[in-house]
Amino acid sequence: MMIPLLKAELFKLFRESKTWYAITAVLLIEGIILTAAYYQGATILELLLDNLRQSFYFEGNLLNGNLLLYIILNSLWFNLPLILMIVSSALITEEYKNGTLKTVMLQAVSKGQLITAKYIASFIFTALILVLLMLTTFILAYSIFGNGDLVVYLGTLNFFPADEAFKRICFAFASGLLSMLFFTTVSLTLGILLKEPAKTWIASAFFLILCSLLLKADFGLPTVERFFFPKLTNAWQHFFDYELNMNSILIDNLLLAGYTAFFALLGIFLFTKKDIG
Amino acid sequence: MLHATELSKSYKSGKALHNFSIELKPGVISGLLGRNGAGKTTLFKILCGLITPDHGTVTVASRRPKPIGAVIEQPGLYGYLNAYENLKLFAQIQKAPADLKSVENYLESVGLPTDRKDPVRNFSMGMKQRLGIAIALLNDPEILILDEPFSGLDPTGVASLIKLIKKLAAQNIAILLSSHLMTELQKCCDYLYVIDNGFLVNKGETKKLLDGLISRYTITATNIETSRTLQPYLVAAEKNTASIKCSSEHIPAILQNVLEEGFAVTSCVPDITLEQLVIPLAQ
Repeated sequence: MMIPLLKAELFKLFRESKTWYAITAVLLIEGIILTAAYYQGATILELLLDNLRQSFYFEGNLLNGNLLLYIILNSLWFNLPLILMIVSSALITEEYKNGTLKTVMLQAVSKGQLITAKYIASFIFTALILVLLMLTTFILAYSIFGNGDLVVYLGTLNFFPADEAFKRICFAFASGLLSMLFFTTVSLTLGILLKEPAKTWIASAFFLILCSLLLKADFGLPTVERFFFPKLTNAWQHFFDYELNMNSILIDNLLLAGYTAFFALLGIFLFTKKDIG
Repeated sequence: MLHATELSKSYKSGKALHNFSIELKPGVISGLLGRNGAGKTTLFKILCGLITPDHGTVTVASRRPKPIGAVIEQPGLYGYLNAYENLKLFAQIQKAPADLKSVENYLESVGLPTDRKDPVRNFSMGMKQRLGIAIALLNDPEILILDEPFSGLDPTGVASLIKLIKKLAAQNIAILLSSHLMTELQKCCDYLYVIDNGFLVNKGETKKLLDGLISRYTITATNIETSRTLQPYLVAAEKNTASIKCSSEHIPAILQNVLEEGFAVTSCVPDITLEQLVIPLAQ
């Protein structure tokens, strides 16, 4: 019964105009970043690196495809999760609003399977959007700006040769996917709790902002710093630390996957226990 | 077929249902009459399993995957899909036949065109109700529950829906429908339940229940207010309409005399108010 439900969820998702608005918004953001980089990026980069150029030799042009990919990756902080959270939460809130959830639950369909199908549909949509973003950026960034070394500022300036940069960017996208899945899962759970689309969007945006603030906050407690979920949502960023600590990144990602599973199970539990009023 | 006993449900705002019992039988159209907010929708949601009662049980004697089909409040449809896509989607999720022929059969069974391809958000309320019923009938339920199916329909839509409901009952489906309007339920229900403030306040076969209570009729015909036959019974008269007071046994003879006077009677509608039905058990 799960497969027909999942197919139906994906069918509805891609027939809704708001899904296409979201995809367009993601691609527009990408286009704007690339256009801005094309016209102004070189000047800004020259200003930033003028002093360093006197001491170091950089291979190729620093305004290259790898830098653009890194800049696009930074949309994982806020723009992309916000858009994905709006679309994902609508999987349930729009059904509450339009009364279609009632119609679905009046059919021979189990509540648990229905909501699980919604979570899986949200996972698939999130993954597809990230793959789309990654592929389009790879194609456009490399074809317009070419390849080259990557310079990243994370407290200090880190330089990566072109081949190393490409690998790290690919890993960062994979780790970023886990972060996006965490946010979309939370938004769907919020949708189950709040039912109304507007309230859920506000709560999702608030959650995202709160996570960003808590990520920067210093709690002074090692356990909180290590295991509290806002601290894990930027695991992808650690792929651009000069000394790569794969073990730590893996633990961060596993913990975040655990939090994602927890929020999904919480949502499934709440949905199956709640009346469809 | 469906047996619900002593159902009770409370919300934060108060108790919506008090020890309500109801029984549905195959091929019988039962009506639930009550004012807005009387507890009709709460009862329907409990019967369909959408909400859990605080007390009481619902027993359905059926082995089908979907024993009850229902349209609660407004039919919840995907407005951006057309009628065919809506039906196909709801059929697929429960593994009901979803091929072109089966879906077209469902559309035809409720009198919807099979060639309309525009989204259902463009449909009239009557068409949405029909599509809602078609979805409720997927997987061949033995019981059909319709909450306020006549609201928002024009007289033609009401007449055509009543015809459809009667057709479905003839297929041995147990039907329960609600309304706050007596006239519609009177036209199609075999059995009536009356609900007020969550209490079952009256029940019985529609004819027996109403015949015992009807004491006024409105007769329509050209210049009917001048009828000599009606004068002893007349309580109010307007142009081409007369309101008379008499018992139900007298009405055939009165009408016969009016026709003999030469008046072409176009309608004779019993006047009964919901309050009249509420009073007997409340007393």
